[in-house]
Amino acid sequence: MAGNFWQSSHYEEWILDKQDLSAKRKSDLQHLTEEEYQKIIILFANFIQALGESVKLRQQIIATATVYFKRFYSRNSLKCVDPSLMSPTCLLLAMKVEEYGPTLSNKIMTSCNNLTKGKFQYAFKQEYPYRLVNVLECEFILLEMMDCCLIVYHPYRPLTEYCAELNDDSILPLAWRIVNDSLRTDACLLYPPYLIAIAAMHLACVMLKKDCQKWFAELSVDFDMILEITQLLLALYDLWRDGYDEKRDIYAILEKMPKAKTNPVAPRS
Amino acid sequence: MSKHLERKFEELHFPYCRDVARYERDSKVGQGTFGEVFKARCQETGRLVALKNILMDNEREGFPITALREISILQLLKDENVVKLIEICRAKSSAYHRFKSMFFLVFEFCEHDLAGLLRSSQVRFDLVEQKEIMRQLCCGLFFIHRNKILHRDMKSSNILITKKGVLKLADFGLSRAYYSATSNPRYTNRVVTLWYRPPELLLGSRSYGPPIDMWGAGCIMAELWKRKPIMQGDSENKQLMLITQLCGSINNEVWPNVDQLELYKKIELPKDSKRCVKERLKSWVRNASGLNLLDRLLTLNPAKRITADEALDHSFFWEDPHAK
Repeated sequence: MAGNFWQSSHYEEWILDKQDLSAKRKSDLQHLTEEEYQKIIILFANFIQALGESVKLRQQIIATATVYFKRFYSRNSLKCVDPSLMSPTCLLLAMKVEEYGPTLSNKIMTSCNNLTKGKFQYAFKQEYPYRLVNVLECEFILLEMMDCCLIVYHPYRPLTEYCAELNDDSILPLAWRIVNDSLRTDACLLYPPYLIAIAAMHLACVMLKKDCQKWFAELSVDFDMILEITQLLLALYDLWRDGYDEKRDIYAILEKMPKAKTNPVAPRS
Repeated sequence: MSKHLERKFEELHFPYCRDVARYERDSKVGQGTFGEVFKARCQETGRLVALKNILMDNEREGFPITALREISILQLLKDENVVKLIEICRAKSSAYHRFKSMFFLVFEFCEHDLAGLLRSSQVRFDLVEQKEIMRQLCCGLFFIHRNKILHRDMKSSNILITKKGVLKLADFGLSRAYYSATSNPRYTNRVVTLWYRPPELLLGSRSYGPPIDMWGAGCIMAELWKRKPIMQGDSENKQLMLITQLCGSINNEVWPNVDQLELYKKIELPKDSKRCVKERLKSWVRNASGLNLLDRLLTLNPAKRITADEALDHSFFWEDPHAK
């Protein structure tokens, strides 16, 4: 989206403070460890990604949806709204805000059914209980909870610009993937997107054994923050490397997730 | 709504959007793209505002995209000449509304809209005031275009004017962000009220840009003198015909590659109309540089049409009598 990040609601209202974020999570963390909480958020980021890909959405829209999702749960417990309902809701809202032409709401709902029965069966194990009407109701809640802050800036654009400056084609693809991975951390809630872009580039350079120290040294940015973002990313990679198997482990974690007391019943449509 | 959803939704608290009850409603003042507009007063501060109720007529689409656009774009655009979105309020949700809140956009209140002023025989504009309106209109457009936003619904009823004479572009329900040349955009051409719609849209262009708003500014400028819309077509063909009669025939000579536009070959238009913008409007606009600016705003070829930036440098605004 056009406009100026520094005057945006993203900058003014949605760069959160680490302490605030942990305070809001406290009630969920009575039931889950921090790592388990993270794993649940990762699961739904994967779910949103798969939903988006099932209807061939641009990464930008998927990223916006993922940020909406994280914004919602940064202010609410997981038990407030079932994240499996919130996921398609975020995606449909992001499609509208990012001006994705045709409405694919029915296709998205079909994908929810298919994915929970197929690729994500290990996490859901029962029929997807929601219908479009539930999603449209949920959209209002999402809008209100985000205080109608809809424009999300992403690291992709600054990343592309920086990589062009560096004049090295090999960095962009890896750094881009790292930015995608950053959506599975708290980075997008805590840091401005251009810093996430720089952290991703830095990490990509290290992984590719490229010496770009000079270029980085000339940037006037807060390297402590770059370091913090890098740590979030490395923690994610550690989690994956240390034998975390979502297929095997996530169901048990979801069982512990705080939920509203009643069991989901398929609503009449 | 199913039982379990009710349960979950009730556990939520909404500290973020304020209750619309803090505004006391006065009278209905208009109808926007997606809802009714009321004049209202803030109970605490006494400030006058315009409350725009978001109507939910198409429930299958959820929250209307026009409202989403207006919200996201106005949060981005903060300028003297763009209507100010103060906040978004809601009416308490209840089981009666199936837990959907009613949303209201709260705008600063503007006493007048340009269409209303032009209709009123008691309101007269002198040259200084006409210049001032055009100058502020171009300032507003310069600002939104610099921020890569197209208004896409320029017309005199979307131009608000406060009682202090400050002009505000309003109703961003059709607006959108645009991306410059490199990408190959395909935007809808079904935008802009017919009488203000530029020739490139009427010919089916889908990769247009800021010049579409400048055409509208030209129509509005002429209206400032003529006191009514200058080209009132009742169909797209008729509108193109009226444009041709005023601005001359549309061909590759005045507008290279116009024949590539989707509808160019499908529409029969006069081949030998002469351009007569200045001749036709000089009895109204009795000012040479004003006529020149108008001529440049109503340029057929969008690539040649004057931009908001260039318009602000036009001698019309820099010679006596000066705008305020």
